[in-house]
Amino acid sequence: MAYYSLRLCSGGGAFEAIPSPRRSLDLPGIRARLEAGHVPVVDARVMLIVQLEREVTVSRDGRLLFKTRDAAEADRLYRRLQPLLELPDLAPAAS
Amino acid sequence: MARGVILMSGGIDSPVALHYLLRQGHEMVAVHMDNRPFTDDSPLEKVVDHLRALETAFGRKVPLYVLPHGPTQIALMRNTDRHVGCVLCRRFMWRSAEKVAERERAQFLATGEALGQVASQTLSNMRSATCSVRLPIVRPLIGFDKQEIESVARSIGTYGISTRPGLCCQAVPDKPATRSNLVQIEAEERHVDVEQILDDCVRRAVVM
Repeated sequence: MAYYSLRLCSGGGAFEAIPSPRRSLDLPGIRARLEAGHVPVVDARVMLIVQLEREVTVSRDGRLLFKTRDAAEADRLYRRLQPLLELPDLAPAAS
Repeated sequence: MARGVILMSGGIDSPVALHYLLRQGHEMVAVHMDNRPFTDDSPLEKVVDHLRALETAFGRKVPLYVLPHGPTQIALMRNTDRHVGCVLCRRFMWRSAEKVAERERAQFLATGEALGQVASQTLSNMRSATCSVRLPIVRPLIGFDKQEIESVARSIGTYGISTRPGLCCQAVPDKPATRSNLVQIEAEERHVDVEQILDDCVRRAVVM
């Protein structure tokens, strides 16, 4: 079953959500859904920059990057985007 | 002593390489390839702070060119095989640095690369990346291991700057190639307008 896992990115400045298995996202379709939901979005052509309380980038290869160092906030942002991006559930955090 | 252009990323290695070149008395110019929107402001802030620390230590100014690299990344991501994205990215960085060297009348290019540390620093990838330029490339740290570089970085006061939190590069592919074939790299590069991309990049350089 497909899921996303959330982890601190290698630079330590943000959280990233990585899909497993890897998936390719339909960026034009996602952009349209975000705009229909009145979510501000910038189309950088190879990724979308979504303006929520914190900036979130959505890459074509399925990666999401939440520009916060707070895991709980990244989790909240993921759940907020989940219906709009048709994302699967997050995997439980590793103990 | 000679005049050189060094690529500065904001990481641990490049300020250490610059430290050695300044210590030898070379006159250096720094180039930072600004990777926004694939990173945040932190790499540029780190480079500015690295230069401030080294300028204070050596008592001389190191001019900084900031070149927009995000549009180049977008062109590469849209038009070329992502697997070799890091090598293509490096080729454009070297070419951009060489353009700055021409403007600054510099005789060499420099980098903080050490052999084998990351995907872009295998021997075949270094060769593929640097075939794109004519000036000699100086790598003061080529035989250092990570611990040695970190130790020097601590002693010269740049380690704490380099390790501040920042965004990872979002343009890095899932599985970057660690071995590249120059024929394949050049074939991929023909999918973009190299001269146009370079001209756009260098024309929008900001000198600090």
